[in-house]
Amino acid sequence: MSASNGVIVDAQHVSRVFSMPAGPVTAVRDVTLQIRNGDHIAVRGPSGCGKSTLLHMLGCVETQTSGTLLFDGKNVSQLSDARRSLLRLRQIGFVFQRFFLLPMLTARENVELPMSEAGVPKDTRQQRVQQLLEYVGLAARADHRPSQLSGGEMQRVAIARALANGPRLLLADEPTGELDEATGAQIAGLLDRVNQAGTALVIVTHDPTLADRAARVLTMRDGQIESERSR
Amino acid sequence: MTALGFAWRSLVRQPARAALGILGVAAVGALLFDMLMLSRGLIVSMQDLLDRGGWDVRVSAGDLPASGLRVSNALQTADAIATLPSVQAALVIRGASAEIDRASGMPLKAAFQGVATRSTDPAGSRLRAPWTILRGRDADAPDEVVIDERIASESRIEPGNAITMRASCVADLEALPATRLMVVGVAEFPFQTTNESTVGGTLDALKAACGGNVGQEADLILVTSKGDADGTAAAIRAQHPEVRAATNSQVVGRLQQTGFTYFRQISSVLTTVTVSFAVLLITVLLTVSVNQRLGEIAALRALGFSRMRVVKDVLSESALIVGIGGLLSLPLGLLLASGLDRILKGMPGIPVALHFFVFETGALGVHVALLVATAIIAALYPMRIVSRLPIAATLRDEVIG
Repeated sequence: MSASNGVIVDAQHVSRVFSMPAGPVTAVRDVTLQIRNGDHIAVRGPSGCGKSTLLHMLGCVETQTSGTLLFDGKNVSQLSDARRSLLRLRQIGFVFQRFFLLPMLTARENVELPMSEAGVPKDTRQQRVQQLLEYVGLAARADHRPSQLSGGEMQRVAIARALANGPRLLLADEPTGELDEATGAQIAGLLDRVNQAGTALVIVTHDPTLADRAARVLTMRDGQIESERSR
Repeated sequence: MTALGFAWRSLVRQPARAALGILGVAAVGALLFDMLMLSRGLIVSMQDLLDRGGWDVRVSAGDLPASGLRVSNALQTADAIATLPSVQAALVIRGASAEIDRASGMPLKAAFQGVATRSTDPAGSRLRAPWTILRGRDADAPDEVVIDERIASESRIEPGNAITMRASCVADLEALPATRLMVVGVAEFPFQTTNESTVGGTLDALKAACGGNVGQEADLILVTSKGDADGTAAAIRAQHPEVRAATNSQVVGRLQQTGFTYFRQISSVLTTVTVSFAVLLITVLLTVSVNQRLGEIAALRALGFSRMRVVKDVLSESALIVGIGGLLSLPLGLLLASGLDRILKGMPGIPVALHFFVFETGALGVHVALLVATAIIAALYPMRIVSRLPIAATLRDEVIG
């Protein structure tokens, strides 16, 4: 459980400024946001508005240049790279637009990888992989490599991989961006199920259908949260 | 999945790249192994040749035993040396040029080595000449000789046959009456060169063949100590300041300072070049491989793989390429060394039993150490790439790309 009332992430006035040759660029400006257990949040906005940068900060792969971001009560910017890696491994799952499955591994091995890195015993790993592949409906394709799977199937394997270590927070960056409408709807349904099972979910998307399934929809513009709508 | 297992899967993912890397390392590793065998090969082989027969001190007129200068009053010197308490036996060697008559064709030119043992020790009296009997027995009487395999096969002579030989113990070969000698054995002469034929016998046999015109000189006196070669050499030098007495190790040391040093220098330069080439090859292959997988690596980092883990993956991949290539390089290197050895031994004046490339466990150890260093150094740059990879920026670039 969270250190304070089920709050997983507590971002206070966080900003991210990139130094560019032409001058500093502010990707995220003064954002304050809390993510609690079981939240279902969608982040919308035009390209370049800072959605992905915000997601990366929430996922502890990017550190803010100002403000405070606490993950489970811990100040992320004060954690070493190794501690942040461990935090991501055990508490955060990532789903990417381009899946990033490892092509030389089977679906089973791709899902098993984060557990192996976390030092989960082999028997437990194998059991959990089976459960996860059944959960995403791909048990029959466990021994297939990514090149033998469709886009939707690859994204389902990626979701199973993201859930491997039982994260409290699942972050998805345009998870249906590379999929057709019908397959995207299937993935959206799967993500809903993950959220209903108790995992907090933050989705960055351009897809209004996907965003409308979220309980909270944040709309960003020029690095700031322009509006928040709750369902 | 361990870093090594992961690296193996990454490697076989692109079989052509893996094969290129492994074969490159195998070829470079074979050359490296050969250079390491060459760097000490002549020294080890020469030491082995000198040590054969148990003679551990060499007495000559010049700095090196094969200088061409002769020891004067050789028999008296050998007699005196044999009386030294640390000496077991002394063997006088005198060479002559000879011609062996053949049933048909031109006479066969050969070198004739005559030897005489001096010892006050019963065990020392039994020591034999510095050649190895392959068939038959050693020559004991003044009318007996042993011949080498070359003479045996070319003239179809075997122990029990007689040969007719003319020998000359002085520089200008004078016409001497032919001497009939009995072949009693076939022997291997350690310092015999590729195109040379050799006959061995007692000093009396040599005198007889030379018509008694031998004088008091000898090419070399070999000495067997009772265990302290260094002390024996020093005692001989003290007893006979006019000669050079050196242990086998000292002879090898002198050769190292003169002729053999070129091979060491050549092998050092080529070793540096081959290792540099291997480092460049692996660095390029790993860098290309890592750059092709930046998105995947960034995703793994986002999923919680530590910086150390992705660095280990790259190092393991380098270790696999170098390890497999290095293993293949050993038989390849031995094969190549045997071919190169044959070519180099074709040079004039090189003893048949001398080898340029000699396998030593020390060379293998250095080979392994250099390959380990290669794997680490070659992986440094790609390891730096993955360790400094900006996760978020790479993921962003991959999506935009």
